Amino acid sequence: MKPASSRPVHRRRWKFAALAGVLGPGLIAANAGNDAGGIATYASAGAQYGYRMLFVMVLVTVGLVVVQEMSARLGAYTGEGLVSLMREQFSLRVATFAVVCLVVANVGLVVSEFAGIGAAFELFGVSRYLAVPIAAVALWALVVFGSYRYAERLFLVLSLVFITYPIAAVLGHPHWHTVVSNAALPHFLGNHTFLFLVVALIGTTITPYMQLYQAAAVADRGIGVEDYPIERLDVISGSIFANVVSMCIIIATAATIGGTGPLGSAKEAAQALRPVVGRAAETLFGIGLLGASALAGAVVPLSTAYAISEAVGAERSVSRRFSEARLFVGLFTGQIVLGAAVALAPGNLIQLLINMQILNGLITPILLTFILILANRPAVLGDAANGPKFKLLATICVAAVGALAALVVIQTTAGWLGVL
Amino acid sequence: MSRRSSLPSPTALRRRLAHPTSRVLADRSVLDSLISVAGLVGRTVRNPAGDEVGRMADVVVRWDGSPYPPVTGLLVRVGRRHSFVDMAQVAELSSSGARLRSARLDLSDFRHRDGEVAVASDVLDHQLVDVDGVRVVRASDLYLAPVGGQMRLVGADVGLQTLVRRLGPARWRTRPTPDRVIDWAAIQPFSGQSRNVRLARPNQDLQRLRPAELADLLEELGRSQRQELLASLQTDVAADVLEEMQSADLGAVLRDTTTNHAAALVAEMEPDEAVEALRHLDDQERLDLLAAMPPANAAELTELLTHQQGTAGSVMTSHLVMATSTDTVAGIQLRLRSELEHRADVDAVLVVDEHGVLVDDLQLFELFTGEPHAPVGDLIGEPWPLTVHVSTPLGEVVERFIDARGSSIVVVDDDNRPVGRILADDLVDALTPRRGRFRFPRLLR
Repeated sequence: MKPASSRPVHRRRWKFAALAGVLGPGLIAANAGNDAGGIATYASAGAQYGYRMLFVMVLVTVGLVVVQEMSARLGAYTGEGLVSLMREQFSLRVATFAVVCLVVANVGLVVSEFAGIGAAFELFGVSRYLAVPIAAVALWALVVFGSYRYAERLFLVLSLVFITYPIAAVLGHPHWHTVVSNAALPHFLGNHTFLFLVVALIGTTITPYMQLYQAAAVADRGIGVEDYPIERLDVISGSIFANVVSMCIIIATAATIGGTGPLGSAKEAAQALRPVVGRAAETLFGIGLLGASALAGAVVPLSTAYAISEAVGAERSVSRRFSEARLFVGLFTGQIVLGAAVALAPGNLIQLLINMQILNGLITPILLTFILILANRPAVLGDAANGPKFKLLATICVAAVGALAALVVIQTTAGWLGVL
Repeated sequence: MSRRSSLPSPTALRRRLAHPTSRVLADRSVLDSLISVAGLVGRTVRNPAGDEVGRMADVVVRWDGSPYPPVTGLLVRVGRRHSFVDMAQVAELSSSGARLRSARLDLSDFRHRDGEVAVASDVLDHQLVDVDGVRVVRASDLYLAPVGGQMRLVGADVGLQTLVRRLGPARWRTRPTPDRVIDWAAIQPFSGQSRNVRLARPNQDLQRLRPAELADLLEELGRSQRQELLASLQTDVAADVLEEMQSADLGAVLRDTTTNHAAALVAEMEPDEAVEALRHLDDQERLDLLAAMPPANAAELTELLTHQQGTAGSVMTSHLVMATSTDTVAGIQLRLRSELEHRADVDAVLVVDEHGVLVDDLQLFELFTGEPHAPVGDLIGEPWPLTVHVSTPLGEVVERFIDARGSSIVVVDDDNRPVGRILADDLVDALTPRRGRFRFPRLLR
């Protein structure tokens, strides 16, 4: 790999620049974190710990910006996806390990999307044992038989419901002084519920899927070296915007049901929207949850299947008819089936959603390490490889995420062994 | 849509049938002596006494222009250093490792020489073009074999099983599994680390691919490989290729290319396709390109760009062959000979009066069967050409087209002067929804 060597005669602007602030890949990728799992986790953080998690979110935002920027840079300078780069740059075994991690994390996400669909239908009084299988078949058919593009727009519009969260955060009359001090002053709680929730927050905010999407979208839109400064702006503003929305979810939930303990159901989470829409809160929440879950429920398995096809060198077949892309369709179908099946397991859906975010949080540092190594390599990025200061900052972020994940693993194993 | 089919293209089939035996992989003895590059890495390198001196780190091959590039040496890891061992010093190279001729080992660090590539790190697992199959592949393994007394790179394996084999224990890794092997003569590799902009060895067959096939390949490749491939094509071929690309990809390609090269390519494209390409750039990029172009081309394209999208003017080609009624049929035939390059855009000759107003549109058939010395005025008559105004919406153009049942329709301005022509294929392009429904990343747009 080498960075594009052609120097433009003039500095070129990029057509997309005008739109960058509105719908750039940076914004879309970062906001993928506000899906079913994200909403459940943020709402749970607000319900259980009030405003205390806000400080963690500030730190996570820094991490998100750093990671998304590296992913976008890799996409822009190489024109290739992250999985392709891993196959080219690491030994086959290491690359396979990375891909397996990615698949596990993404299947976890698919599970949480179907859990989100189940929770949304339960708000409307439909059993999830009926709704989830039907939704799985419907999503699969929409994608394979090709009318998915239209459905996607519908889901997108439905998920816009969650824009009401910032309004709810204001109308809920939170204690602004507490909000600011909790966001600005460093503090942690030592207990392990807090730690698990922190890892879940990291997992849902810096999801491996988002880095994958970021690099692929930048490469695919032909955003090149000259356009990169604008894309970087899009990544930074998009990441910050996404996390402001996330923080609004925490604030809105904390203001209405803060301190009532762990979130028990989607019904409780919906109360946060009450200051805006009153009694319609549950319906509105259900609509938004359904839209966000259905949207990600198709896109996540699609991008996972694509990334793997890309890594084994079968990307070409994906561009063709589905009947000719057996590997791709097989992977896609497998994820949908597995995701829907796990979401049907009896138990608390909200807890399942959060557990899947913890799973993502454990895998995130592994993939971040790979991304960091790639972005450090001059062989990949040439002059655009991480400089010493950025390298230090990025290493600290990755190490911190890794340390928290390791703590969770240690605590859990210790718990199993009866040490704690 | 036929180019999306998975069957090898007609060109590919023809080529495969043309030389089934000139490929070394067709030779049983070569097939039996394959050495897997992926399996070689990590194997022992021994001195003449049989003691281990290091481990194989890579195989260095020179892109010398021959269909099967020769192995020039090995990279051997001794302790923490990598040293280059010339093939002249290697007594034996087999799938279990290498034996050196002399006990001495030169521990100078390896530096890339021009045209040399360390294949295990820069070719294995990277993108390659399979010229026969007209597709982009990723090498799961590379095979070496002795050909004509020299160890050469003879094939690339693209099988999925081969990847699985490489994940297995070491003894699996060395065993070649010629599962889906492509003969190296049909492969176009890229320069990898050596960072030449031009392809080290443009495959001759690559130049013979149809523009649509090359366009498909370009869409699949990563950024630097794409630029490398594009740069290896002659400008006129490259322009034909760009005409076949999807507008969004085309914008990306033009943005990656230097302004001067991009301007040369766009100037070479048929005007209607060039305008389509320019529409996908932003204002500044467009102005830069137009400024770098020959003024005549720039003026023509600027004129075409003024037509609103979705009207006849936006899809027409402005390349017209015009005659007056006093020109002779033979004279027109001569003119047409010089239009060979634009033959896809010329299906009739316009006859205009002294003010440039449309009189008739003569099909090539009419001209071909006409008396050579007669003036074209003799051929004027029914059927009269159907015309549309430049600002006619596309929907209406289609309706007129259905009425006309011809292969093209004439576009005229307010004074009934012909300014362009819409060919059936332009309409097909304009009416077809973006192709590649399952080109995955686009699902996300």
